[in-house]
Amino acid sequence: MAKIDPSVQKKSDNTANYWLGGLTVFFFSLAIFFFVNSKQFTTARAEIPLVDKKFVDTTPWRQTYTDLVKAREDLSDYDCYACHDKAKPPLIRYDTDQKIIIPKEHANIEMSHGAHERNNICYNCHNEQNLNTLQVRDGNVVKFDNTPQLCGSCHGPSLRDWEAGAHGRTSGYWDRKLGEINRLSCANCHNPHAPHIPTREAAPGPHSLHEAPPHESSKSIH
Amino acid sequence: MNSLPPQIDKASDQAMSRRSFLRGCAAFGGVSALAASLAPLRELGDYTNTDQFLQKYYKELTPSDMTKVIDRIEGEVERQYGIRPHVRDLKPMDGVEFVYALNLTRCIGCRKCVHACVKENNQSRSPEIQYIRVLKMPHGSMDVEKGNHNYDSKQVPEKGFLYMPIQCQQCKNPPCVKVCPVNATWQEKDGITVIDYDWCIGCRYCEAACPYWARRFNFTKPQIPKDKINPDMSYLGNRPRKQGVMEKCHFCIQRTRVGKYPACLEVCPVGARKFGNILDPNSEVSYILREKRVFIQLKEEMGTSPRFFYYFDK
Amino acid sequence: MISSIQNYITFLLRCARIACVGDWRYYAWMGALTIICLFGLNAYAKQLAQGLITTGMSDEVSWGVYIANFTFLVGVAAAAVMMVIPVYIYGNEELHDLVIFGELLAVAAIIMCLAFVTVDLGRPDRFWHLIPGIGQMNFPQSMLSWDVLVLNGYLLLNVHICGYLLYCRYQNKKPAKWFYIPFVFLAIAWAVSIHTVTAFLYVGLGGRPFWNASIVGPRFLASAFTAGPAIIIIALQIIRKFTTYRIQDKALLTLRSIVQVSMIINVFLLACEVFKEFYSGTTHSASAKYLFFGLHGHYALVPWIWTAITFNLIAMVILALPLSRSLRWLDVACVLSIIGIWIEKGMGLVIPGFIPTPLGAVVDYMPSLNETLVCLGIWAFGFLCYTIFLRMSVPILQGHLSKANEDEIEAQMTTSTKSHLIKSNFN
Repeated sequence: MAKIDPSVQKKSDNTANYWLGGLTVFFFSLAIFFFVNSKQFTTARAEIPLVDKKFVDTTPWRQTYTDLVKAREDLSDYDCYACHDKAKPPLIRYDTDQKIIIPKEHANIEMSHGAHERNNICYNCHNEQNLNTLQVRDGNVVKFDNTPQLCGSCHGPSLRDWEAGAHGRTSGYWDRKLGEINRLSCANCHNPHAPHIPTREAAPGPHSLHEAPPHESSKSIH
Repeated sequence: MNSLPPQIDKASDQAMSRRSFLRGCAAFGGVSALAASLAPLRELGDYTNTDQFLQKYYKELTPSDMTKVIDRIEGEVERQYGIRPHVRDLKPMDGVEFVYALNLTRCIGCRKCVHACVKENNQSRSPEIQYIRVLKMPHGSMDVEKGNHNYDSKQVPEKGFLYMPIQCQQCKNPPCVKVCPVNATWQEKDGITVIDYDWCIGCRYCEAACPYWARRFNFTKPQIPKDKINPDMSYLGNRPRKQGVMEKCHFCIQRTRVGKYPACLEVCPVGARKFGNILDPNSEVSYILREKRVFIQLKEEMGTSPRFFYYFDK
Repeated sequence: MISSIQNYITFLLRCARIACVGDWRYYAWMGALTIICLFGLNAYAKQLAQGLITTGMSDEVSWGVYIANFTFLVGVAAAAVMMVIPVYIYGNEELHDLVIFGELLAVAAIIMCLAFVTVDLGRPDRFWHLIPGIGQMNFPQSMLSWDVLVLNGYLLLNVHICGYLLYCRYQNKKPAKWFYIPFVFLAIAWAVSIHTVTAFLYVGLGGRPFWNASIVGPRFLASAFTAGPAIIIIALQIIRKFTTYRIQDKALLTLRSIVQVSMIINVFLLACEVFKEFYSGTTHSASAKYLFFGLHGHYALVPWIWTAITFNLIAMVILALPLSRSLRWLDVACVLSIIGIWIEKGMGLVIPGFIPTPLGAVVDYMPSLNETLVCLGIWAFGFLCYTIFLRMSVPILQGHLSKANEDEIEAQMTTSTKSHLIKSNFN
């Protein structure tokens, strides 16, 4: 083994000692840094506002006659002979474009059942002999609490689907043995005079985990 | 052996002991830095406890084990949210296989199903976890690449588009079940693919495997406002999850296994969603699968055989 | 029996003691690595407390740099055993000792792999669920369960081989062939298997068309056998510089030929992949489009992949030319290949598999500071392990640390090794 020059040995020893000393000091200050730093380190997150209650509401859009009866609400809207004469069926008036003229007493009705004014004869559905009932084209009378029979007289496929549960809203129990299914009627969703479902407001879109705070702009993920 | 003069020998001895002392100091400094570096673990909180750590796999729990587990869960929820829930371990019903049918002619893209699900299933509001994702697709295409996830139309539906909500398809041949290394997710007899939240190790392999992007991970502690907790819970379903585990749609197992409709179906304002027992020929879903002409099973070519059928009336 | 256990413990203690001793450069290097490890540990503690939200991962991109590094390092571990093939199969006795350096690199790499997987787990406290028998291992269906078994098996295999050979050298005994040769051949096959199983983790996912391709497995092996030996080439030169261990250029040139061929195969497979993705124009190439050209206004990975391809091509050209026989050029080619393949396996494989999501959304991924610190910490820990392994094994292989000089104190022994260093500095 070679002889070591002691002065060189000492120099390299001192360097090693300095490094060890330096490391010791660094480690202790690192320990303090870690300890202090651990107090505040929560990852910043965008505040996502809670969704409006209306977007989880299961209430149907419309109430039918049957609903009103069940809820013992005011049925005066359905008491036609409060204003009309039993002997005289009301006259329907049309303008020069064959569009129906809504009398001011029924101003809340928007008439758009069928394209191209196809279905603008009130007595297609209402029974002029008895305004408290409805009628099908073949003359059969339908009561207000049995409207699907009327709607289905023209909209057969929809009625068949509805009866099977494939059309319209259902709620309650899929397992009839354990509970009741609650099937909404046509008029719960469709306004009989303007049955087309209107557009609605959509609930807010999703937020990705590391997204910037939500904006109203259409910053699409796509 | 080196033949060094005696005084240098003694000096090198001293140097050695000085070196050893400094080495010891550095080591001690290192150990204290090591201990301090673990300081953030003080914030772990109720990450785990002995009972939870040792808890057996769901399929190995005896009824008395399950009672204890449910007791623990109910206690945890009560401590955290101030309300004692009712947690049940619901078993699949006999002669039942669930199928979900969604009418794409009817869906208006209102996203109410997304939020009803969040409310029913105690999902985290921040960070946001939503099992259902509604895609706004251009008319004529089923290519999800063309879908828009973030539409914020003021009025839906918009003309020229169709809306497609996507959630876990409860596949008959689920890729997520295949890849889970610890069997934390499996398919039950009634067709629902479930997750044992207390068994999942959070490797996210199932999330990578799912072709429908249906699975969600808890990247941090879920935040649910105390007043929004749904106390009607089930073990495999909507009990609050912890940080670091997977979750996904489970067909509202706490509702459907007692015969009720899932929350997304109940809230849908246009009745686009249909659910039921395919083994019952009189159910809506049997009727639909019998009568309707065209069904789309998303990504059918994946061989996953989903239980989710999209169909059209026109 | 008792005395052999005592001897073994003495051996282990001496090895441990020598790992704590060195000159100032050793302390500086180990100190720096320890500091980086501590930062990584601190970052991981924060991640444990807060959850994986401290990383840049999300439901859209649910695997990130942790798994990317894991994938790269499994390749390095597999390829580190490549040195074994020329020695044992072709009987190249000169490379005998270097096999141990290769296998020690494999051990360090596997330790890093296991660390990367552990930090990626959402619930690492539930690791016991993976233990077959006690937990619920989904074997053989889940590729991850295969990975757990093969990686741990590979670790044990290499620890056994290195440990046995080193201990025999320490005792100046000839190692019994039956106790290590079969394991060596097993390790060769096992090396290929660990990387194939890792590849199959990705290939088996039908829902991710970018990964669900048969080329992934072969590409993994080709790139691993490029990057692994390249790392060994660099490592051997470092050993040559910092210890008195003699390593012949011949060893480096043997490894060079492995890197050369593997890189050519790797580039060829890249060309195959590019053709398949872009020629037929199906929608399945969305991920490849994102990676190479950007998608829907997102271009994050495009500079990375083109850098990687450029590096790999330059490295391939240098390696193919006789120019790379010169160590300086060989080093350049090795460094370029290592970086190029690290990018390819990380950003070029793991991330694009998630973008776009199976539902077509594009959400960019960017590793967070915390995530990067954890990665650096694990890399530093790997370097630390490997340095310690070398610090123990080089003196054993040189005969400086042996049973014969058990009585000699470490100080003098290290003094003698240092003297060579100082002597060489003087000259």
